[in-house]
Amino acid sequence: WGSWYWLVMAVLAIQIMLYLFISTSFQ
Amino acid sequence: MNSIDWIILFTTLALIVGYGTWQSRGSKNIDGYLLGNKSLPWWNVCLSIMATQASAITFLSTPGQAYEDGMRFLQFYFGLPLAMVILSITAVPLYHRLKVYTAYEYLETRFDLKTRSLAAFFFLMLRGLSVGITIYAPALILSTMLGWNINLTTVFIGSLVMIYTVSGGTKAVSMTQKYQLTIIMAGMIIAGLTAFYKLPNDITFTEAFQLAGEMGKMNLINLSFDLSDRYNIWSGLIGGLFLFLSYFGADQSQVGRYLGGKSVTESRLGLLFNGLLKVPMQFIILYIGILVFVFYQFHQAPVFHNQSLINQAKQTEYADRITLLESDYDKVFLERKQEAENLIGAIRKEDAKQIEASRKSIEEIQASEKSIRSQVKEQIAAAIPGANTLDKDYVFITFVMTYLPHGLIGLLLAVVFMAAMSSTASELNALASTTTVDIYKRSIKPIADDYHYVTASKWFTVGWAVFGMLFASIANQAENLIQFVNIIGSIFYGTILGIFLSAFYLKYIKSNAIFIAAIVAEAVIVYCYFFTKIAFLLYNIIGCLIVVVLGFVLQYLENQRIKKASR
Repeated sequence: WGSWYWLVMAVLAIQIMLYLFISTSFQ
Repeated sequence: MNSIDWIILFTTLALIVGYGTWQSRGSKNIDGYLLGNKSLPWWNVCLSIMATQASAITFLSTPGQAYEDGMRFLQFYFGLPLAMVILSITAVPLYHRLKVYTAYEYLETRFDLKTRSLAAFFFLMLRGLSVGITIYAPALILSTMLGWNINLTTVFIGSLVMIYTVSGGTKAVSMTQKYQLTIIMAGMIIAGLTAFYKLPNDITFTEAFQLAGEMGKMNLINLSFDLSDRYNIWSGLIGGLFLFLSYFGADQSQVGRYLGGKSVTESRLGLLFNGLLKVPMQFIILYIGILVFVFYQFHQAPVFHNQSLINQAKQTEYADRITLLESDYDKVFLERKQEAENLIGAIRKEDAKQIEASRKSIEEIQASEKSIRSQVKEQIAAAIPGANTLDKDYVFITFVMTYLPHGLIGLLLAVVFMAAMSSTASELNALASTTTVDIYKRSIKPIADDYHYVTASKWFTVGWAVFGMLFASIANQAENLIQFVNIIGSIFYGTILGIFLSAFYLKYIKSNAIFIAAIVAEAVIVYCYFFTKIAFLLYNIIGCLIVVVLGFVLQYLENQRIKKASR
């Protein structure tokens, strides 16, 4: 199940980068 | 509300209660009643976990929070996926292998009876008090909006939950939650789309984003490090991780959900999918608040969103002053609407100079709006002494009741009821499980048949539900009591987490050391609450660290003492 753990962490990291992009480009 | 709304609301409620009672009939043995015979697939575990965590206040308050304060609240959930990964690796296989009914049962195999009883007692304290508020908070808003009596609304919600949780136990809770969460998310998305489609000038999704961004609402990430402020990425990742580890790993309301999974794998996947979906779900709910905010750039917003309260204030001598302020607010709105249209035009032309000019002018208008709103709040507070002039919990529901078509109003009210019921059901079920397994069966009546324990669990469910409803009617009289209960999780969670972390990872620490360390940690946290200004989010970390460090020191001293004695 290691792949699931990495998937959860990767999705979180991608989301944080996406939100960082939104908050810098729309502010 | 018209007859279509009432029919939709009551039909939805009746179907859910009927379905839960019917589907879970025949839970005769204690395995069936408390664990649902461990029959849940991973997707149902996931929906159950999400429905338990999202109470009615989540869906009422969160859009209002975004409306007032922007999207920054999202950061608070960043620690959750990390907690899901850690718990999937550690807690889930352990709980499954030991075949426990509650998380606290494990503490007896790892430490001893007194540590198990202490943790169970802490849980019953924090959850027993907060179940009253889980019912009370939405009941207050619903009773205000529908003109019902607050105590009757509380009893109505509490009784609906009691019908199926008492008769069907854990299975009824999980079976109903999958439909409750589906109805909740569908209703919320429909409300968000309604706000979007009512925007003028064919404004696109991206333009709504840009407009909100220019007005400072897209403050999603704050990189500055300050653990005493909830709204930065580090508080979310570190403080949130500790909070969610204790909530999902050591709070029976959540542990009970994934103990019902078919196997270790199904329970794990349920938790991990919660880790995948939770942050996007909160993003959607916050973004609905942003859409309502953008909507109100082009439509007149009420000066105060709790309409019932402002109407009461207008019955007093302060009426003229409030009406005058309202007409000021209407004038300012017209200016702002014009500027919002200018801003959209500038965004479309990509005219940076005009965007900046419009943004500045909107900032000034917002400042004068804010000043009018705070004057109105002062007038209301003067007119009705003791009135709660915070109206962010009413922003979303007032929008729904004013602008949604009939039928959808009934659906959205059903959403609020569903969210209140799904959280309350899990909490009552967990309180009954813990009371039965960790207190009654362990220390009061250890030998009896399954039928006896199922009956006892049913009575404990009724008892906790009645306690919750009584507590809610007391809370109605005491605002500071509500604030206390809202942070009561922070008071106990740190200590409970410290006990569980030591149990999982620190084999060195034994039962006497952990018991004393936990009591000292709890005393320190209570001292912090009464005599210091430390941020509540830090309580989780402080409590946990004290338990672990002090547990180590005490165990070391104990070992030294034994060595000396044996020489």
